[in-house]
Amino acid sequence: MNKLFSRIYLTILIILLYLPIFYLILFAFNKGNNMGVFQGFTLSHFQELFADKRLISIVINTFLIAILSSLFATIIGLGGALLIDSLKSKKAVNTYLSLNNILMVSPDVIIGSSFLILFTVLGFSLGFMSVLLSHIAFSIPIVVLMIIPRLKEMNRTMIDAAQDLGATNFQVFSKVTLPYLMPSILSGFFMAFTYSLDDFAVTFFVTGNGFETLSVEVYSRARQGVSLEINALSALIFIFSLIMIVIYYLLSVRSKKMIKNGKGRVV
Amino acid sequence: MSLLQLKNVTQVFDDEVVLKDIDIDIEKGKFYSILGPSGSGKTTMLRIISGFSKPTSGQVIFEGKDISNFPANKRNMNTVFQNYSLFPHLNVYENVAFGLALKKVDEKTISKKVAKVLQLVQLEHFEGRMIDELSGGQQQRVAIARAIVNEPEILLLDEPLSALDMKLRKNMQYELRQLQQELGITFIFVTHDQEEALAMSDEIIVMNDGIVQQSGSPVDIYDEPVNHFVANFIGESNIVDGQMLDDYQVKFVGKEFECADAGIPQNERVEVVIRPEDLDITTKDNGKLIVNVDSQSFRGDHFEIMAHDEDDNNWLIHSTNPAKESMGIGLFFEPEDIHVMRLNESEEDFDARLESYEE
Repeated sequence: MNKLFSRIYLTILIILLYLPIFYLILFAFNKGNNMGVFQGFTLSHFQELFADKRLISIVINTFLIAILSSLFATIIGLGGALLIDSLKSKKAVNTYLSLNNILMVSPDVIIGSSFLILFTVLGFSLGFMSVLLSHIAFSIPIVVLMIIPRLKEMNRTMIDAAQDLGATNFQVFSKVTLPYLMPSILSGFFMAFTYSLDDFAVTFFVTGNGFETLSVEVYSRARQGVSLEINALSALIFIFSLIMIVIYYLLSVRSKKMIKNGKGRVV
Repeated sequence: MSLLQLKNVTQVFDDEVVLKDIDIDIEKGKFYSILGPSGSGKTTMLRIISGFSKPTSGQVIFEGKDISNFPANKRNMNTVFQNYSLFPHLNVYENVAFGLALKKVDEKTISKKVAKVLQLVQLEHFEGRMIDELSGGQQQRVAIARAIVNEPEILLLDEPLSALDMKLRKNMQYELRQLQQELGITFIFVTHDQEEALAMSDEIIVMNDGIVQQSGSPVDIYDEPVNHFVANFIGESNIVDGQMLDDYQVKFVGKEFECADAGIPQNERVEVVIRPEDLDITTKDNGKLIVNVDSQSFRGDHFEIMAHDEDDNNWLIHSTNPAKESMGIGLFFEPEDIHVMRLNESEEDFDARLESYEE
C-alpha cells in the first residue's frame, strides 16, 4: 500500500514537472504560428531555426561562455577552497565561507548591476569579455561550496601516508588530493556550467551591443510574442541535455569499473 | 652497530615538554615496542623517527648518518598508520603499488612485487577491490602490504591493531611477529597495550611523561621493573612499602623476608613488588603472610582473589584453585618472587646495580 502510494506520488510529481517542457516541445511541431491550438505536424520551425544565423551564433556564444567561465571558475574556486581549508583559525574559515555564501544568496540583479557599475567605472567595454568575467565571478562561490565538504571529510593522515611512501608535495597534490577531490571538482564544474547557461539577469546588465546570450535573446524576442522557432530550439536543447546526462551517467559507471580493473593509473 | 639512534631528543610543543632527553638505540632485525599510556610521548617519538616532526633538540642517527633534517619522503622507513590511511580513490593494487610507482620502478617489477606482498598478507585475490569494500582486518593488511612492498629498513607501526576486535587482534599479533621474522626488517611498534607488547617484542621501551622509563626484553621488564610506574603498567602487581635491612634482607608489612636484591644502602625506604601469580595459597601455618579473602572471581584459566592482611594492605592473588576458606589463609612465596625497587632510581643506576651482584 505504502509502496503503491509512493509510486503514484512520484509519477504525478514527475509528470507535473515535465508537462510544461513537453507542451513546449509539442508546439515546436505545430503548423500554426502560436501556442494556442495544435493545427498539425510540421518541421518548418526547425528549418527556420537552422536558417537563422543570428540565433545559431548566439547559441554558440552561450555555450562558449558557459564552458570557459565554468573552467576558469573551477580552477580558481579549487584554489580558493584549498586555501580556505588550509587556514588555521576557525574564525577566519567561517568568515571566508560566510562571505562566499553571501555571494551565493544575493540576488542576480544586485550582482549584475554592481558589475555594470564596476565595468563602467573602469571604462571596460561591454561585450564578450565583460560577460565572461562576470560569469566566472558568480560561478566561483558555487565551485568553492561544492569542494569544501569533500575537503572537510578528507582524512588528513592520507597526506602523511603519501609522504611516507616518498611523495613530494607536488606528488601528494597530483596523486592524492586532486584525484580524491575529483568528484566534487566535476560536480562544481557542472553546477557552474548550468548556472552560466541559465543566467539572464547578470548577463542582461553587463552585455553590450552585438553580444548576446540565449536567455537575453529569448527574453527580447518574447516581448514581441514568442515565435515557435524558440520552441524548436528548446526541443533541441532538451534533447542535448538528455544526451549529456546519459554520457555523464555512463562516464561515472565506467570510472568505477576502471578503478576495479585499474593497474597502471598510479604509474 | 645500531641501525637507528635517538640522541638527547627533546620535543617541546607550546611550552609543553613532550619528550625529555630521549636516548634510544635500535638494532637491525629486531621487533621493538614503544609502550606507554596515552600522552606519554610515544607517538611523538614515532613521528620524530619517521620524519613527520622535527625534534626541538637532539639528533636522529640512521646508519651512522644524522638524518634529523630529512623529511619523511627521504627516509628509508615506512609507516603503518593507526587508521590505515589508505587511498579511497585507488584500489588495493594501486594502493600497494603507490610507493614503487613514485620511485619510477618499471611496471613489470611493480606487478611482481605487489603480487608477492599481497600473498604475504593473504590478500592474493583482492587486487581489484575498492578500499571501502574491505573489512577492517583486510584494510589493515593492505596498509601493511603498502608499507613493506617498499622494502624499508625500518617498519613503523602506530597502534595498528587498536581498531580491530579482540580475536582478530590476537591473530594479527602472531602474523605481524611472523612477518617480521620472515622479512628480517626492524619493526618499531607503538602501543598502549602491554599484553600486545609482551607477546610480540624482542625489546620493549616503556614510556611515561616523555621519559623512557625502562627498556629491555619483555621478561626483564616484567620480572624486574625499575619503578612503581613500570611495575603497575606492565602486568598486575602487589606493591607495598618496605625497608631494606641489608643485602638480601627486606622488611615489609612488619616482617623480615629473604629476597634476591642487593646493592641498596641499609635501612633505605623501598617499594616491594610481588606478582599475583607468584603468591601461592597455603595453610595458615605454612604461610609467610596471613590474609583474609574479600572476593574471588573466576577468570577461565585462573581465579582472581582479592585479600587483605591485618595491616589492611590489599593483595591480589592469581591461583589455579579457589581459596577454600575466606578467613586466615596463608600466602607463600620464594625469595626470588620478591622484587625490591628503590625510589627514584634511574634506569642506568638500576642496570648498574643489577650487574654488580648478578653473576
